[in-house]
Formats: sequence, structure tokens, C-alpha cells
Amino acid sequence: MTAVSMRGVTKRYGDFTALDAVSLELRENTIHGLLGRNGAGKTTIMQILTGQNFETAGQVEVFGLHPYENSQVLDRVCFIREAQKYPDGYRVRDALNSAALLFPSWDARFATELVSDFQLRPKQQIKKLSRGQLSAVGVIIGLASRAPLTFFDEPYLGLDAVARQLFYDRLLADYAEHPRTVVLSTHLIDEVSDLIEHVVLVDKGRVLIDEDADVLRGQAVTVTGPTAAVKAFAEGYTELHREELGGFLRVTLAGAHPEPQLRSEGLEFEPVSLQQLVVRTTQQNLDDRKVVL
Amino acid sequence: MTTATASDVLATTPARRRRYLASARIHLVNLPLSLGMPWLILGSSFVVNLIIYSMLPENPNDPRTTGGIMSIYIFALIAHVVSMTQSFPFALGLSVTRRDFFAGLSLIIVVESAVQGLVLTGLRAIELASAGWGIDMTFFGVPFLVQDNWFLQWVLYSVPFLALSYLAVLFGTIYKRFGQPGMWVSIIGLVLVGGAAAILLTWSESWGVVARFFTETAPLTLIAGYPVILAVLFAGLAWLLLRRATP
Repeated sequence: MTAVSMRGVTKRYGDFTALDAVSLELRENTIHGLLGRNGAGKTTIMQILTGQNFETAGQVEVFGLHPYENSQVLDRVCFIREAQKYPDGYRVRDALNSAALLFPSWDARFATELVSDFQLRPKQQIKKLSRGQLSAVGVIIGLASRAPLTFFDEPYLGLDAVARQLFYDRLLADYAEHPRTVVLSTHLIDEVSDLIEHVVLVDKGRVLIDEDADVLRGQAVTVTGPTAAVKAFAEGYTELHREELGGFLRVTLAGAHPEPQLRSEGLEFEPVSLQQLVVRTTQQNLDDRKVVL
Repeated sequence: MTTATASDVLATTPARRRRYLASARIHLVNLPLSLGMPWLILGSSFVVNLIIYSMLPENPNDPRTTGGIMSIYIFALIAHVVSMTQSFPFALGLSVTRRDFFAGLSLIIVVESAVQGLVLTGLRAIELASAGWGIDMTFFGVPFLVQDNWFLQWVLYSVPFLALSYLAVLFGTIYKRFGQPGMWVSIIGLVLVGGAAAILLTWSESWGVVARFFTETAPLTLIAGYPVILAVLFAGLAWLLLRRATP
């Protein structure tokens, strides 16, 4: 039940290695989060998976076939890019009509609903839209396409908090009714942490984390308390992060589990948010220390 | 296990037949723009010429011809560079393959060339019937383009559209594939090749041969025959480059 499979995919631009032996598998009918810093390689991965860019080495399979120039595969794929350009003179409805022509599963009624939800007008010139409105057009196309594999590359750029929540709500609701494989690349990790079922973290062209979100959340814990007590507890666990203030110590430990009975000793346990995990893991990779999780 | 699921998805979700037709329709989504603009430009050129010539006294020694008709050909050139810089990224963003995009674009170019040629032929007919729009002006019947046979007239008007459109597509593709450096290299390369040819011709004193070629070859071959070959050449080159171009 693999929608996407990449094995040892490398992408080089001259001297620069954008992707370094990336291997990952994306399950069908799941919402995947593709996370990473700017320039980590997320967009390159998505471009290669949609046949828009070409891998230097490695095997790429989407629905079991290579996506390049393969309309069998591409008919079922929708890629909403962060900087999608529309031809001059296009209005909102021209963009939607084009999408309707090209996506076999397009739902026009849903698209119309979304247009009014995002407060767009069909006759607006795309050139005159704000950044947020432009993103909204992309989001509408991505959602209404109902493509079995939909990629959203930072679709929230410019969207205000209300519009973002609207996107997440609509995505979840439609995904529940029409299950499909969604790959969402985003920087606003905590906003989507409830949405994402599977996490892929990419940094400097390599995959650092490739894990189900639930499993990930259970793999680390933050302990706060008197320095001595915390140090005693932290014995034997790998430390991801440490903050010290006065006599208090706060550490993020990999592999540790909360132990409520230790509250008597002054220890407080907090779950590590997905964003924290991602930030800490990426910071570890910065020093090229061996990443532990 | 992977193949089983793959064929499940591929089998159960609908396919789009004749995607190249859908891809062609992308170019027609904003009709007033793509249809109206070239004729607007030609129309304004025509009106300006009409006004000026109607103000000048008639002089039997001075034939009233103008090259204004070129404007619509130049527009086709520009429009199809834009096809590559704008419509290509847009189409690929909507999961169209390069093959379907090129097929759709070719369909548009061929139909556009034929239809525009037809309209020009019609306008030429009106020009003849109205004795040069009442003031003996030849706007559509530029001398070397005139044929007695209406079918040939249409061919003569249409083919340059084909050649110019595909030349534009070729340049647009070079830009998408190789970026600005590619454009500069192509243009400088062309200038160098042209310059080298000119030097060769001057040194071997063969300019006369070139002149004779242009004057002695029948207009039909010159303006319809060779450009068709050029159009096919440009189209083939553009396709080869397009295959590895990124949107």
C-alpha cells in the first residue's frame, strides 16, 4: 500500500548535492508531513516525484511507476507549488476552469464552495491578488482536485490564521470523506501536528526522521525540576536539549517516559511538541552529531 | 504487493482521455485576450495607415503599399515565447506531461495559423473588391505575397505563422531549459554564424547568388515551401530540448 517509494535518490546540481541518497516510502491514504528547513530539499523531492525535475541517481516510484512523462501516474497527482505562476490575464475562474479540464476527479461544486469560503471572487485578476489570496487559489485547486496523491508545498504562505484554520478544517473533512494520500510541506509544524499522521524530516538533502507521528511523540519527554533531581533522572538517557536557570534544570530526553510518581521529588513531565522535536533534531544535525531519536 | 495497489489506484480512478486536447484548451481559457489582441494590433496599424493615406494626394507613381501586416506576425512570435515562459510552467503545475503540452500547443499553432491565414485572405478579397479601401491602399496584398489562386493565397498567409510560432517556441524552450545564459549563447551564436556567413559570401563574392536566390525562387517556394521545412525543424529541436526542461 505504498503510494510513493524513493530508494537512494540523489540530485546533484554540479557541485551541490540537493538530495543525498534519500530513501522513503509514503503509505497510501495517509496525511504525511514533509518537514525541514528552507533549502533542505523538500521541494526538490516533490518536484522529482511529480516528474517536473529529474533525479541524478536512484529509483522513484509513484503508484508503482516512474512519474516522468507518465500520464497514467500524473493524472492521479496534484502538485500545488509554493510559487505557482499563472499566465498573464488569467482570472481566478480561468485557473479553476483549467484545473477542471485537467483533473479527472475535479469537484466543481466543492471548488465553488471553497472560493466563497476563502472570500475570493471568480472574476478577480490573478495578477492583482495578494500573496494570501494567491495561496488560497492554490489551496482550492489542491482540495477540489480530489487527486489520489496531492502535494501541498508550503500552501499557507500569506494566509492569515483564520484562512489557515479553514484550510486545515476543509482538508481534514474532505480527507475523511474522500480518503487520499496527502503530502504537506510546512514550517508551521505545531499548527498541523494534529493533522499529520506520518512525519518525514529532511535536512541538507538527507532524511533525519521517517516515523509515524504517534510513535514520534512517545519517543521523547521534557523534564523540569530541581537540578539535582533532574540530573538523577536523566542518567542514561540521551539529552536533546538543556536549559538551566537558578537551581532549576529543564532537559529534553530521548527515549524517556513520564513517571508521574516522581512529582513528589519536584519533577514535572511535559510532552515534547512535534515542532520541538523537529527543531532539536535539526540542531543536532547541524553539528553533524549522530542524530538520536 | 506494490504492483497490486498501484494497479488498484490506476484502475479505479478515472483517466482523462485525449489530454492533449485539454492541454490545448488552456491556451483558449481567456479568449478575448488570445483572440482579440493580435487583431486589435493589426487593426490599429490598418487604421493608422488608412488615415494617413487618405490625407495624402494620390500619386500614380507611388504605389500605396505598407508593411503593416507584419504586426500580426510579430505578435504570433511574441505570443508563443509567452506560451513557453508562462503556459508551460502552468500546465506542468497541473500535472500535464511535456508530450501532451507540446501536442496541445502544436494543435493550437496549426489551427491558429490556418484561421489567421484565412481571415487575412478574406480581408485581401475585400481589399480587392473595394479597390484598395477606396483610396487605392494595398495593406493586405503586399506584392510578393499576392497569388492568383485563392487557395495558394491562404497557404502563403498561413505558413509564415507556422514558422514564426515554432521559432518562438524554440527560443522559449531554450530559455526554460538553459535559462538566460542559454538565450545569450544562442543569440550570440546566431550572430557569429551569420557574421561568418557574411564574411564568407563577401570573400567569395557570392552575394549575387544570394540575391538571385531570393528573386528567382518562386514566391510560393520561398514563403510557403522553405518555411514549412523550417517550422518542422524548429518544432523538432524544441521538442528535443523540452523533454528535459523543468517548468
